Amino acid sequence: MTIRPEDWEILGLEPGADIGQVRRAYRHRKSLYEPAALATYNLLDDEERDGMVDRIEDAYRRIIGSEPPAAPEAPSPATRPQAANEVVIGNAPDPLSDPGAHLRFHRMAKGFTLHQIAVETKIGVAILEQIENEDFEVLPAPAFVRGHVHQFARELKLADAYEFAKFYLTKMQGGDTEADE
Amino acid sequence: MTEELSESRARGPRVWAVGGGKGGVGKSVIATNIAASIARGNESVALVDADLGGANLHTLLGVPSPKANLSDFISKRVSSLGEVMTPTPIENVWLVSGAKALVEMANPNFSQKSKILRHINALEVDHVVLDLGAGTSFNVLDFFLSARKGVLVVVPEPTSVENAYHFLKAAFFRKLKRAQPRAQVKAAIKEVMNGSSRSKVKTPRDLISQVWSVDPDVGAALVAEASSFRPALIVNRIDHPSHERLGEDIVSACRDYFGIRLQFLGSLPNDKLVVRSVVEQKPAAQFFAQIPFVNAMRGVVGNMTYVRPRAS
Repeated sequence: MTIRPEDWEILGLEPGADIGQVRRAYRHRKSLYEPAALATYNLLDDEERDGMVDRIEDAYRRIIGSEPPAAPEAPSPATRPQAANEVVIGNAPDPLSDPGAHLRFHRMAKGFTLHQIAVETKIGVAILEQIENEDFEVLPAPAFVRGHVHQFARELKLADAYEFAKFYLTKMQGGDTEADE
Repeated sequence: MTEELSESRARGPRVWAVGGGKGGVGKSVIATNIAASIARGNESVALVDADLGGANLHTLLGVPSPKANLSDFISKRVSSLGEVMTPTPIENVWLVSGAKALVEMANPNFSQKSKILRHINALEVDHVVLDLGAGTSFNVLDFFLSARKGVLVVVPEPTSVENAYHFLKAAFFRKLKRAQPRAQVKAAIKEVMNGSSRSKVKTPRDLISQVWSVDPDVGAALVAEASSFRPALIVNRIDHPSHERLGEDIVSACRDYFGIRLQFLGSLPNDKLVVRSVVEQKPAAQFFAQIPFVNAMRGVVGNMTYVRPRAS
């Protein structure tokens, strides 16, 4: 996937903006086209709104997709497959200590891309990606994340999505889930 | 300094038009306070009440009954607009009071309009602030487009935001139509403005690409015209943190959807003292110099009048 010049324009960025700017611009653009957003409330009909959101998602994926893969995070017990079509092997990472990797494992095992999950759950690709990466600093407030994780887990038909969202929040809020009790 | 002033006088005043689709968003209060704010920088300002159907700037300024107004100029009782300028309680601000309650004044014909515009550009002041009426009539649009900068006022309410888009679209198409009177372009514009749902052309962006595909020369002319359309935006009466991003959001949406580049000048807080200043007929910028509204207004006027230094 290569970046087209208009991808930068769609996100309102100068070509070559850094990843932080891309993420911020993407979040801003997405919120601009939420159905209740004051600035666009009466401007677009549903079809146009969806079209605009698709363009934004697409531009974002093109730009992010062509970024060099991030350096592997410090000690991570689970191997994190990078693409949906990679073969998933081994057991699911522990939902308590690695809830993000756990989600990714099940998503890939079922052959879903982030985009497919985004379409079903109406949660943005960036947020889903941050949830899987456990990017706690950039994720929205825990109350929202709980809802997103719950939906994400339900979409993957995890046994207990509600309980799983609680695990995720515990880790996000710094609770020590590694302990046995 | 003196040289600069005389040079600017020779080129005519800088004309600012304050408009916006909807009534009651604070256009007149903002126009008055823009004038008062500019005047504090020691430049002279003529405030023109161009709300031809419902003028009331004299009341905002505490000038009870101006001896002459725009009606006298339009009906040729006075020969120049300069004669209609009345001093106001604010130093350096003059008022050209609006036409009073004459139905025919609300719709001047083309030659009356061009005469008003010509005389506005001949006023011997540094700045002219035009306070436009509500709506998107051709008069309002023509005054808006004739200014050096057309300023759109919006409040954080869906109806106001909706009207602002409608106004921008109307002003934009009016500009294209005046610049490009070819029948095919006119027909395409008409189709867009009528909002025919079957039409693929819904926005200025669509229109330009459509025309481009038919006739690249006309398309290029429209692009040039479009890029010179750069109105400005003020968000008035914000009273919630979530309103602070509305201005930038509207700018983004205009760019994405219409292909129109708006300049965001700033947000003005909802301030009870502004209401009081209206009731007491004293412009806030003059009499409540330290309130948040006036401070924010200074920023807005600074952005509006800022001239990028020319690279030499």
